[in-house]
Amino acid sequence: MRERYGSSPLHLLAHLAALALAAWALLQALQLGGWQRIVLWLAGAVVLHDLVLWPAYTLLDRLARRGRPVGWANYVRVPVGISALLLLAFFPVICGKGERTYMRVSGQTWDGYAGRWLFVSAALFLVAGAIYLARSRPGSSS
Amino acid sequence: MPPAPPGPFRPRFWKSPLRGPWMTAVLGTLLLMLVSIVALTGFLSHAAYQPDLGRNALVNPDLPFTTFFDWPTGPSWLYALTQGLHVNLGLAAIPVLLAKLWSVIPRLFQWPPARTPAEAIERTSIALLVSSTGFLFATGVANIQYWYVFDFNFVKAHYYAAVVFVAALAVHLVVKVPVALRAYRSRGVLAPLRAGLADTRPEPDGDTVAVEPGPPTVSRRGLLAAVGAGSAALLVANAGESIGGPLRSVAFLAPRRSGGFPVNKTAAAAKVTEEMVGSGYRLMLRGGASELALTIDDLRALPQATHTLTLGCVEGWSTRQTWAGVPLSELARRAGVSDPAELLVVSLQPAGVLSQATLAAGQVADSRSLLALRVGGEDLALDHGYPARIIVPGLPGVHNTKWVGSLEFRA
Repeated sequence: MRERYGSSPLHLLAHLAALALAAWALLQALQLGGWQRIVLWLAGAVVLHDLVLWPAYTLLDRLARRGRPVGWANYVRVPVGISALLLLAFFPVICGKGERTYMRVSGQTWDGYAGRWLFVSAALFLVAGAIYLARSRPGSSS
Repeated sequence: MPPAPPGPFRPRFWKSPLRGPWMTAVLGTLLLMLVSIVALTGFLSHAAYQPDLGRNALVNPDLPFTTFFDWPTGPSWLYALTQGLHVNLGLAAIPVLLAKLWSVIPRLFQWPPARTPAEAIERTSIALLVSSTGFLFATGVANIQYWYVFDFNFVKAHYYAAVVFVAALAVHLVVKVPVALRAYRSRGVLAPLRAGLADTRPEPDGDTVAVEPGPPTVSRRGLLAAVGAGSAALLVANAGESIGGPLRSVAFLAPRRSGGFPVNKTAAAAKVTEEMVGSGYRLMLRGGASELALTIDDLRALPQATHTLTLGCVEGWSTRQTWAGVPLSELARRAGVSDPAELLVVSLQPAGVLSQATLAAGQVADSRSLLALRVGGEDLALDHGYPARIIVPGLPGVHNTKWVGSLEFRA
């Protein structure tokens, strides 16, 4: 039996317990209004990461590194990566997606997010450039 | 089984010499520490709303998991802390999550997809883990930025997805903690971090180790440093709105970075008009059989107290202010209920699930719990709940009801 299943009975029981609890939560969620959207978002999260985000950054990284010495890849990909990460996590404020709701509920105006993201990105690129310059000077240790 | 399709389904596709059980164990350990705090504070937030009382429950009131404790009233910044951790550590976990997924992504394309029933059921639980994680992060990130792009109830969907996440994570730990411990035992917990780029070699064995690795472009400690820099950048971008003070303006992408005293919901958005709070305003004070109708001057004539308390929002931002008003315990006595079991607060706000809230005995009894009439030495502004609002230490922001229309003390 163990050989046919591929692991111990504890493995099976632990998974059955977890799947039962997850199934209960999913059944509760399916009773909510807009459940089709919930299912779409659950599936979309996996598809967006595994089939869009990961292939995109892997491909960009491979293309950008092609034919160039190993030494300077990280001076570019660290600041670009951090800038892209800020855009990923703060896409709604940077692109003004929640602007109308925010102004209605808070009474405040909403501006400058895209500008501040661009300024911070520019600063990241300049700092990385300065570090590269300092380290590639003749006589520098690395 | 047909032969493996080309591309990522073939082992030779994978080039990174950094992938391996030790790298995954380190990223997994870091991610586990962060998401444990995020999940715990998320469920604590659920408890802080005291879903067992009145109509407080935002999720299904018949849930089998009830809360086992009363949410405390001290310290006053307790909810600001737990929810600040929830939002900010959630943001900081994003780069760690991305790196963790990167380290195991060859498994997604393994061929055949499952060799045994055990592997098939394990991969089902992984699918639930990854999709619920992605769902929780995406909806959380959109919600704190007021982007209500989802056409479903955020609170309920986020809650049920968290239950799926906890179940799938628990079984993932049962299966993978032994694998991680084996990697730590055979390679050392920190030893691989000593290798610089020139000494970075592939791990000796493991199913994510590249069969034909390319040359390393970064050391393992370099990868972890880059992930840490990403987390730090996200924290700098947002955490100031949770900590307050001068850091608020440093938080360059925080949704609540504007100076002053933030308004969660304006009177206009809540459909509360000047007329509703004008000379005709009466606070209905109920308890037992009696009912009192108090004008704003009646309220000002009652004994007043002043306390500096933190108001924490579920979205992760907070503000600390000095409030003055009538202690709730004083109002309970006036209503004829000296030792109330609970208090139902109803707002003048005509609609919305949060136009009412029920407070527990301990929250009414705390001497710092006020029906506030003033803040920062001035009468409340209309947007902050004029003529009277609730302020209870440690209570989630939206339960500090604004524009209070009635208080009903129940014995």
